Amino acid sequence: MNRRFLLAAAWAAPFSLAALGTAPARAEMDINRAAGFIESTGQELVGALNSRAPVAERRQRVAAILRRAVDVEGVGRFILGRWWRTASPAEQQEYLKLFEETLIRNLSARFGEYEGVRFSLGRSQQRTEDDALVNTIIERPNTAPFSLDWRVGEVEGQPRVVDVIAEGTSLRLTQRSEYSAVISRNGGQVSALLDAMRRQVATLAAREGR
Amino acid sequence: MHPYRRPLLMLLGMLALSACATRPPASEPEALAEYEQTNDPLEPLNRGLYAVHNGIDTVVLRPAAEVYRFVLPQPVRTGVRNVLANLRSPVILLNDGLQGETQRFGNTVGRFLLNSTLGVGGIFDVATGFGLPAHTEDFGQTLATWGVGEGPFLFIPVLGPSNPRDLVGFGVGIASNPMTWVTANGDNTLENIGYGLTGLTVLDTREGLIETIDSVKETSLDPYATFRSAYRQRRQQEIRNGGANPAPANAWGTGLGTAGSPPSGTQPGRN
Repeated sequence: MNRRFLLAAAWAAPFSLAALGTAPARAEMDINRAAGFIESTGQELVGALNSRAPVAERRQRVAAILRRAVDVEGVGRFILGRWWRTASPAEQQEYLKLFEETLIRNLSARFGEYEGVRFSLGRSQQRTEDDALVNTIIERPNTAPFSLDWRVGEVEGQPRVVDVIAEGTSLRLTQRSEYSAVISRNGGQVSALLDAMRRQVATLAAREGR
Repeated sequence: MHPYRRPLLMLLGMLALSACATRPPASEPEALAEYEQTNDPLEPLNRGLYAVHNGIDTVVLRPAAEVYRFVLPQPVRTGVRNVLANLRSPVILLNDGLQGETQRFGNTVGRFLLNSTLGVGGIFDVATGFGLPAHTEDFGQTLATWGVGEGPFLFIPVLGPSNPRDLVGFGVGIASNPMTWVTANGDNTLENIGYGLTGLTVLDTREGLIETIDSVKETSLDPYATFRSAYRQRRQQEIRNGGANPAPANAWGTGLGTAGSPPSGTQPGRN
């Protein structure tokens, strides 16, 4: 995502400078914009999770929201890390498809647990070069409320979620560790990870059917 | 010799022999970087110990935590958690002091006084309402702020993810806790109270982690790698004193309470 952004900035900078004759365009994500984005996306998601629609329909709504709100490709590539380049183009495509599928199925398999979920914005803070961290409080019935931080970056001019952080634990870092362990322990074969992901999607789908 | 000890020793010996992960050659800089980042040169041994832990957890710890949750209603469990946290105050205070955290030091004193009196022996966490939120400190964190490195990652059965530094901190934490000496040097009743407190701490910690650990085991393609990564990230955050969420359930300064547990028992920070 960084590289893409830099490229975009490199393209845009001369034009905007010429047009405005002012300071270079700011590279960082505006904190209020990020917070507004998380607020509206969160409300949408909570609405979809709490709706009375059948599971398949709810899953489609959630999937649409996630595809719009999450930088699925950027996050997926970040998580595959150094193995991205060893994967064949076909494997890369398959991986991104499975990655999106696991993301969605992981949520839809636990729709029951999310019923009655509420969320609100907590404190917001700016962090790192071009990303913003937006803090939220998630409340579920019969569970102590907990705090989640959303890392929001700018992808093609739009705010997108690039990471979720709970208790200082970044989801994308943890998942990178997990995927890399699967590949390393299978002789560096990306296909082994794809097999495992396929099985996982199947398990999650079966669970949802119950 | 105890009949089970010999096979156990042999098993450990075999594990130790096969214990070292191969370090990638310098010709593979990315693999090498990841190897160093992961900080787990004893991975085969650790994975063996993780399997042992998993067995114990499945057969003993998790069922016990389920029973604990079933038998005691939520308010009582919260009370137990608060009492245990209050009893840890002296150790937290000592570590606040050793890290030169004057404000946290004052917080801990205030919390202990308020919760021990108004909070009826620590059952109610009234101090949070007075603007004194809970925090944890342990000797592992203190050693880290003094510049002691973590050493290689370790997975200790029952205790969970750790490292030599946090393990030493865990031992010093027990040794420096007044409760340890009160209960160990007391009569039978006090000694039993000591065992009871240890047991309750284990139950309380594991109970607070039921959902977290279940969901990791369900969703992760390699739970060991997930626990390892989550533990180390979270530990770094605790050492930085970052984050608004105190974690009163984190009793050990090693794995169980730190493996990505949700903050429970207290309101999330809104400061």
